[in-house]
Amino acid sequence: MRAASPAANLKVVLLGEGRVGKTSLLLRFAKDEFSDTQQATIQASFLSKKVLVDAETSVALSIWDTAGQERFHSLGPIYYRDADAALLVYDVTDKDSFDRVKSWVKELKKMAGRNIVLAIAGNKIDLDRQEELDLTEQTEYAESIGASHFTTSAKLNKGIDAVFQDLAKRALVSKRRAAAAAEAVESTLVPRRQGTLIIDERPKAPPKRSCCS
Amino acid sequence: MSSTSTGHWAFDSWKMTQQVLDSYGFSHALTGEEAVQRQMCETRAREQQKMWWEKERTLGPGWYEDELEAGQNGFAGGFSMAAVTAVANGSSLKKLIRKGIPAQSRAKVWWSCSGAGKKEREAGEGYYANLLKLVEGKETVHTRQIDNDVHRTFPGHPWLDSEEGKTLLRRVLVAYSWRNPGVGYCQSMNYVTAFLLLVMRSEEHAFWMLATLLEDILYEDSYSGDLSGCHVETRVLGELLEKKLPRLAVLLEKLGCELALLCTEWFLCLFVKSLPPETTMRIWDVLFNEGAKVIFRVALALLKMNEANLLKTKSVGELIHLLQDATRHTYDRDELMKVAFEKLGSFPMKSILKQRRRQHPLVMAELQDRLRKHENKSS
Repeated sequence: MRAASPAANLKVVLLGEGRVGKTSLLLRFAKDEFSDTQQATIQASFLSKKVLVDAETSVALSIWDTAGQERFHSLGPIYYRDADAALLVYDVTDKDSFDRVKSWVKELKKMAGRNIVLAIAGNKIDLDRQEELDLTEQTEYAESIGASHFTTSAKLNKGIDAVFQDLAKRALVSKRRAAAAAEAVESTLVPRRQGTLIIDERPKAPPKRSCCS
Repeated sequence: MSSTSTGHWAFDSWKMTQQVLDSYGFSHALTGEEAVQRQMCETRAREQQKMWWEKERTLGPGWYEDELEAGQNGFAGGFSMAAVTAVANGSSLKKLIRKGIPAQSRAKVWWSCSGAGKKEREAGEGYYANLLKLVEGKETVHTRQIDNDVHRTFPGHPWLDSEEGKTLLRRVLVAYSWRNPGVGYCQSMNYVTAFLLLVMRSEEHAFWMLATLLEDILYEDSYSGDLSGCHVETRVLGELLEKKLPRLAVLLEKLGCELALLCTEWFLCLFVKSLPPETTMRIWDVLFNEGAKVIFRVALALLKMNEANLLKTKSVGELIHLLQDATRHTYDRDELMKVAFEKLGSFPMKSILKQRRRQHPLVMAELQDRLRKHENKSS
């Protein structure tokens, strides 16, 4: 049986403080690779991977990795523009790195599209020596902004598939909802302008993305 | 770090690749074709070297110093016959440098032609040593970021992975963050400084080369604050692209591909993260002698050399992967230099300066606008 072609191409952008493990998360997810000494990212790059969201539906994710240092923030819009989802990464052993997550959320909520889906990943759980990791504040914050929260370890390959699956699933729903809303607007506008009623019940193919196949 | 290359053949599932250690200690897996290209460049480099030795033999070891000085001062000293000869020689020196400085002379020629030597002399004796004393044991936002990055600067390189390598890289970066608080430390300076250390083989000289690059050669504010200088350079490149490679400019527009997606690393890392090291060094030879304009030439040359393939791409992703891959494999450094300096037409610095002046306020307005929106809406 031929694998079904993806139901959608979704763009995901990875954002977060430097050294929290954005590149490592991506490499583990897309290529199942890990290195303890990952080079610092300067030029954003991307990798693609197909994800099954249920038994019959798959989506193709194009995941963009970005530079973490604060001053690269000014390049942010190039990457999150047109993004369907953002994964905000922090380091569970570095509480300050969560502030950067909040700052990105603030910006995305104002500047990115209304439909962008968010998830937060607390990475490097392998490094935490505490028996019980207390991430109440982080999970509560995630809930307050409508984002899901996950803990991950790129090193041990923990929690990563779950994050991207969650993002893919919710971003697909959000995209379909947006497409349906746009269609509804269109169907009320077209007849009025043309004076004839055109009923087109064929499901619209997802709009072809101009980037990141 | 040996300057000879050793290689052995390995079977890489589909095609034969050859493991080669380059003269800067980096290891490469070359295809047969790439190995041949590299070999030809090495042969030409040896020929080129002979010319340098001949000059040195007849004119003395610092033969290029006078020419450089005359070139830098132009005809300021009047139209004496000596000045005319020196400037004429200067232009031949320019040609020689475009063909590549022999690896053995690279450090000392860079030191002279970049102006770093002069900068060090003007700072006075003991400047760097004093700076090191000042920064000892201090912790700042910059030192923390530097400590994050030092061990992940070209991991796997034998010398940079060593304690000595990491210590020197850290010291130069910390010292510079102290000298120039406006810049402090920007990610990408770690890669540039690592290469300066590999070539200069002197911590202090690497420091002055870095200072010269940021303060005298590259466009201002490329690394500071919100990278506004880098944004300006990107826009200038965009203007040049429209003139020199209009079909590619149209394609980028059509695909919605921002130029910054392609060139940020070129402007910040000066190609060290994009091209093979030996190719990068050829560019730096000219960068230190002729200035930041060279970055535009090389950027456009990389795009021009791959134009036919890039024009076939159907998405931003495909385009970026193709360009990054081709760039990483640019082993024929002679070809790149030829395209950059002979096949792109004239490149008057005057018009680049004019473009920068035009783009600067636009970039500032854009950055301000974004900041204002961000703050207004969130208050």
